[in-house]
Amino acid sequence: MSTEALVQFLDVQKIYPNGTAALAGVSFSIRAGEIHAICGENGAGKSTLMKILFGLEQPSAGVLRIGGKEASLRSTRDAAMAGIGMVHQHFSLVPSLTVAENISLGFEPTVGGVFFNRRAAHAFAEDLSVRYRLQIDPRATAASLSIAMKQKAEILKALARNVRLLILDEPTAVLTPAEAGELFDHLRQLKAAGVTILFISHKLKEVRAIADHITVLRAGKVSGSAPLCSLADAEVTRLAMGKLVPSVSRHADRAIGAAALQVEAVSRAARRSASRITDITLAVAQGEIVGVAGVDGAGQEGLVEVLTGDAVPDKGRVLLGGEQIGGLPKARLRALGVSHLPADRYKTGGASALSLTENAMALARRSPRLSIGQYLKSKACEVLAREMIEAYDVRCTSPRQPLGSLSGGNAQKLIAAREFSVKPRLLIAEEPTRGIDVLAASTIHGRMVDLARSGTAVLLFTSDLDELLTLSDRIVVMHDGRIVAQFISSPDLTTEEIGRAMLGLETSHA
Amino acid sequence: MRKALYKRGARLCLILLVIAVVLWPVVASLDDPRGAFFTFVLGPFNDMRHFGNVLEATIPLLFTGLAVVIMFKAGAFNLGAEGAFFLGGVVATAVLLKLPLAGPLLPVVAIVAGGVIGASVCVVPAWLKASVGASELVCSLMLNYAALFIGLYIVNYHLRDPNAGAMLSYRIPLDGKLPRILAGTRVHLGLVIGLLGCALGAVYLYKTRWGYESRLVGSNPLFARHVGVRTVLVGLIAPCVGGFIAAAGGAVEIEGMYSRFSWTDLPGLGWNGLVVAILANNNPAFVPVAAVFLAYLEVGGDLLAQNFAVPAEVVGVIKALIILFSTMSIAVGNPRIKQLLVRVMPGARKLNTEVEP
Repeated sequence: MSTEALVQFLDVQKIYPNGTAALAGVSFSIRAGEIHAICGENGAGKSTLMKILFGLEQPSAGVLRIGGKEASLRSTRDAAMAGIGMVHQHFSLVPSLTVAENISLGFEPTVGGVFFNRRAAHAFAEDLSVRYRLQIDPRATAASLSIAMKQKAEILKALARNVRLLILDEPTAVLTPAEAGELFDHLRQLKAAGVTILFISHKLKEVRAIADHITVLRAGKVSGSAPLCSLADAEVTRLAMGKLVPSVSRHADRAIGAAALQVEAVSRAARRSASRITDITLAVAQGEIVGVAGVDGAGQEGLVEVLTGDAVPDKGRVLLGGEQIGGLPKARLRALGVSHLPADRYKTGGASALSLTENAMALARRSPRLSIGQYLKSKACEVLAREMIEAYDVRCTSPRQPLGSLSGGNAQKLIAAREFSVKPRLLIAEEPTRGIDVLAASTIHGRMVDLARSGTAVLLFTSDLDELLTLSDRIVVMHDGRIVAQFISSPDLTTEEIGRAMLGLETSHA
Repeated sequence: MRKALYKRGARLCLILLVIAVVLWPVVASLDDPRGAFFTFVLGPFNDMRHFGNVLEATIPLLFTGLAVVIMFKAGAFNLGAEGAFFLGGVVATAVLLKLPLAGPLLPVVAIVAGGVIGASVCVVPAWLKASVGASELVCSLMLNYAALFIGLYIVNYHLRDPNAGAMLSYRIPLDGKLPRILAGTRVHLGLVIGLLGCALGAVYLYKTRWGYESRLVGSNPLFARHVGVRTVLVGLIAPCVGGFIAAAGGAVEIEGMYSRFSWTDLPGLGWNGLVVAILANNNPAFVPVAAVFLAYLEVGGDLLAQNFAVPAEVVGVIKALIILFSTMSIAVGNPRIKQLLVRVMPGARKLNTEVEP
């Protein structure tokens, strides 16, 4: 590995027009040929840093050096010229085009300067795929690819123009553990092929698995930058958070009461395979947290849809406290005490254009505290929002600012506050901490455990197996729309055991 | 708060600039450019009669503007206000002519009847959307013309005065007219009703649970459903309320300004209601301001056409350009308008800029 610095940030600052200082003087360097990880809480400045490096934002002050020379990246085109490619968290492939067409988008080979030369595009894509040893069918349309394949196509697209530095923004957020492992193998191959990689993540485990060097950002500043082997995990966390994260665990105290939710032989034949469930039988007691694991699309969505009133089961019964709730409309379920923390926090979890208050009051709107008949008490609504903001440590300037102006973690905390504060009998939590920082996740975990302690039955759907193991009293594993395994949570239970069941390799009942 | 105020101020300056720029080339070619310019800009305020004209033209816009705001806020992209306004006027005329009722109750009954029946132009498309998933936008747009011809049929075959020469209804009884409230003008009680309506509209949207629920639906229907709002119901209530307001506006207009029903085409006041809603940034509290502005342009243009050698068509173009530019300046900053554009032309998605975390 050469020790020459490929990219150097020298006291780079970024202050947005609204006065937010996203970067308050950042200096560090990325050496050629290394895998360099950038860690930090949400809002620590990781995204801004990447945008500056990819030419999407210009620094307010400071110097950026690429290959020893001062560089001014005014657009993504400049960044591409400087040999910088980026794979965004959200994919930007055109679904109807083939992989090859997507890869050559923007510099399409032509015949006679006019017509698209498909053959040359395919040859180019194939060549690229061989050179970087990322196997993919260049003729497949993007829409037909699995998520992991789409990501491969994105990486190839980013590599297409002689890239020296490849930026990956939270690449594993959408992948299953097995797919993530495969991605890491690919990244190591790229490193061997001479590509420098900048890897953004807040999963320390992944960083540990792959990175050579780590830079930790906190509140717009570098709080540490060192070879990874010289830092212990606790040290990295301390650098990122500025304090130790309280650990939340479930195993110690359980007070499980009478059965709250009973799902009896429920089936639903849906056109979408992810919504299809077969013969699901499951019970959650008061005060119990039951975790549901499964690879993406194994039927978890279908189960959630049936439980939250989005779909009517074809067969079987769903009971809450002995009362049949299968097929009831959402408004009715809400009134019966069913809370749902949805996976997509902006699509269904909240209204980004409305204020924090208007988002916070949505469930309690009928309570006598907030309304008399039709009349809404604006003051009381704002007080409620303030209480939630305080109790869940939501970082914001005012309860009147729109939800969309918060960082993901803070928005999720507010949404969780809303769903938890109605003291539900049943909580369905989907990916409660996906894509948010450790501290925010810890707040949500803590409140969820409190809720269970007060007697709520919790059904937790998550792809984060560590989260599953820490919080659940019992774990059921879904595969192909069925429950294929159940585990009683214990400190000896490992992610590997659950992982095997997720792939449908094991149908034991421990 | 202060920032919002600056923003409004900037918008106003922009609109004034637009007026000056659009007006200049036309006015400069006249013999008396200064006089023409001031006639357009200040004419509507220089005597009581002209100012009265502004307020008269404001009244129907208060109703149609408010109607569109109520529907748009609930995410109902319903363009039926035009037809509702027209049909409301027709039904009110029919009630005034045919109902054997005298005294102050008559105009009230006519407004309510016109409002209820006229609202159907907004409600039917909403119902079609809820039941079979038809596009509310397209259905309401087309239904306006159905409303026009149904209305014309009623007037022609049931209300027409054969001795009047043109297609006019019988004379509306004096009991059915709304009282004038400003001496020397034709400004009538409708102004008070309209302003009251806007105030109630603001209270409804921002201070009641139904209003809040409708704003939830308008802002993110999936989220509204998620928290247990019955979105289908809200999708029907908003056009009922909005349609009623627009149609009641048509009834008020007939009772306040006409001695016979004389519309032979859609009067265009529902379309102007869309412009008012956009200028008012979908806030009922700003509807009166936007309505007065639009009425002021109307009167200024008329004065220009009457007093100078400017053809009425050119005045129309001037008004259209001013409306176009001032609406654009506001629409660009309005997420709801963008949402509408995205629905109509998917390419407009690019207009949506993400909020910086």
